[in-house]
Amino acid sequence: MIKLAVYGKGGIGKSTTVSNLSAAMAEKGLCVMQIGCDPKADSTASLHGGTKIPTVLSLIRKYGNDFPLHAMVCEGYDGVICVEAGGPLPGQGCAGRGIIAALEKLNQKGAYETYKPDVVLYDVLGDVVCGGFTMPMRSGYADKVLILTSGENMSLHAAANIGMAVEHFHGRNYAELGGLILNRRNVRDEDQKVRELAEDLHTGLLGSLDWSETVQAAEPLNKTVLEAFPNSEMAQQYRVLTETILHTCGGTLC
Amino acid sequence: MLKPLSPAPADCTEMQIGSAQFPTPFASGLEYNPPARGPWNIVHTGMLLPQAHQIFVCAQGCLRGVILTAAEMNAMDRMSWVSLCEEDIIGGNMEQLMIDGVANILQKLHPLPPAVLLFISCIQQFVGCDFPLVLRTLRSRFPDVDFADCYMNPTMRKSGLTPDQLMRRQLYSLLRPAARDLKNVNLIGNDRPTDASSELLQILRQSGFRVRDITQCKTYDEYQQMAESAWNITYLPTAAAAGDALQQRLGQKHLYLPLCYRREDLLQNYKVLADTLGLSLPDFSNIMQKTEDALDKVRREIGNMPVTIDYTAVPRPLSLVRMLLEHGFCVSAVYADSFSDEEGTDFHWLQQHAPTLRICATIHPSLRFYQPRTNAEILAIGQKAAYFSGTAHFVNIVSGGGMYGFDGIARLAEQMLDAYHHKKDTRTVIQKKGLGCACCL
Repeated sequence: MIKLAVYGKGGIGKSTTVSNLSAAMAEKGLCVMQIGCDPKADSTASLHGGTKIPTVLSLIRKYGNDFPLHAMVCEGYDGVICVEAGGPLPGQGCAGRGIIAALEKLNQKGAYETYKPDVVLYDVLGDVVCGGFTMPMRSGYADKVLILTSGENMSLHAAANIGMAVEHFHGRNYAELGGLILNRRNVRDEDQKVRELAEDLHTGLLGSLDWSETVQAAEPLNKTVLEAFPNSEMAQQYRVLTETILHTCGGTLC
Repeated sequence: MLKPLSPAPADCTEMQIGSAQFPTPFASGLEYNPPARGPWNIVHTGMLLPQAHQIFVCAQGCLRGVILTAAEMNAMDRMSWVSLCEEDIIGGNMEQLMIDGVANILQKLHPLPPAVLLFISCIQQFVGCDFPLVLRTLRSRFPDVDFADCYMNPTMRKSGLTPDQLMRRQLYSLLRPAARDLKNVNLIGNDRPTDASSELLQILRQSGFRVRDITQCKTYDEYQQMAESAWNITYLPTAAAAGDALQQRLGQKHLYLPLCYRREDLLQNYKVLADTLGLSLPDFSNIMQKTEDALDKVRREIGNMPVTIDYTAVPRPLSLVRMLLEHGFCVSAVYADSFSDEEGTDFHWLQQHAPTLRICATIHPSLRFYQPRTNAEILAIGQKAAYFSGTAHFVNIVSGGGMYGFDGIARLAEQMLDAYHHKKDTRTVIQKKGLGCACCL
């Protein structure tokens, strides 16, 4: 089993990218579990037709501990196991604490032992701002952190912060930095800026994804690109990126 | 057929059992803590670990209670703390702060304690502190010290295990795997030794078992010898999680024989004990007759004096109520805010056979203004029952008082009789923390 946590600035396209990676991995016959770590609870939406699925925190709020493991998961496109951590309403509560509680509950309920996924993808919201956001990096959760970024300054800044957080935790047996992924916004010198950041963080650039109308077209269909437009250029880019990630981080899976 | 009942109004503090909802008769909300301090807290329980040192890492407001507990029991030399302030929270390096703080404390302790109970509080959980990392680092820096992770997190007490259950579980978390001796049995999870006259201990000892109990361990090595036992017996509901954890971690079989008061239930416990450990049971007729005689004697002497019972005295107050009612006692009230699932059968029996039995809250906020009567002619079992009943006639026990089985009932009857004949200074007695612990007051 490999466990990857995908971080990046809010709005950079993490959920879209992670869902397409999940779909591409599932297409290869791998058992994939995607865990959305965002109060918005929309990480996996494109894998199950945009339906609302019960979040782990909503189940905890409603039933305490008195609910089965399967209530927390939803089988999505091509068998991808979808989980949404959920969280408080915007402006209320503590999203970080919510992530901690949700991931601990998945552990307690034996999610990894029961479903035995080949790959677990944590789709983590925004920047690293409190202990809760580092939870997916910790020992027992992700093995590698992947950072999604464009060449925009704010995105690069967020990526640098995340990279420094991973570096800060070096020696704690936390996840290592697995590399950057460029999600192009077509800004000037974009590739060069991201490569420079990768060098500064002593990591590699795992791959690049073009800005594409195809991605925009798949969104209102509530589908991943791989499901909606499987023969498109973008679908191929996701497949290539998947191969690279599995080759770099996948150990025996590649 | 039982009909579903509506929850009680928010201001209700007392009701008849016939109209009470199981298992939580009263509305949940803000809570009050009456001045009956006998029940043990996590500090008292932690002090059962011989030679261990307790270290709390939390805010000053949270430290107040635990330090006062240690001070009152003359155990300040066994407790240290790291006091957190706001800068520590926003500084973002809670783990290093804890490591440095604990290391600093340990460097000042001579000799080093063999074990440290390291307590975190709610704040570490809110900020997502990596407690396992702290423990790993400390274990590496102090290889001669065993560190147990412990929790003072009252905000989490209604989700998962309560602080009391967690503490009783963690108390045994330092037991290291050891060669198993099939003739060794542990009694775990209790605050105090079980009476040697209890038939539970008699049966085990007469069958050749050595019975170990942390309450009788004088050294940390003796505590570690508990790992050699093949069985762990618990009888308090709050101890069951400890038994389950040891079964899972060390492979020691867990046998839960709940502390209860009715003949059928006790005999069932002993049947389970015999079947599980392969024992032959003795003839219980003598001890059962002794119990009946003891209860008869009390009933004759106290006559129709009302009896009240609270949930801190015994873990299954309804079992005790039912037994006493079946023996002709005039039980008038039970002080309990909720009941464990184990009490369901007795609760429903009482609804049918004693529907006017009063169920009284002890933690409702309006009880802050309760003016207890004084000199009430009531025989109370437990400190909270004594406080709310306003009586000086009370049996001063918590968590069953170490009395188990038929012998336990006979001993309880003796204590009831003593309480009837001898008044106690209720106010003075119940304000002492941790019944059975040393007290500087």
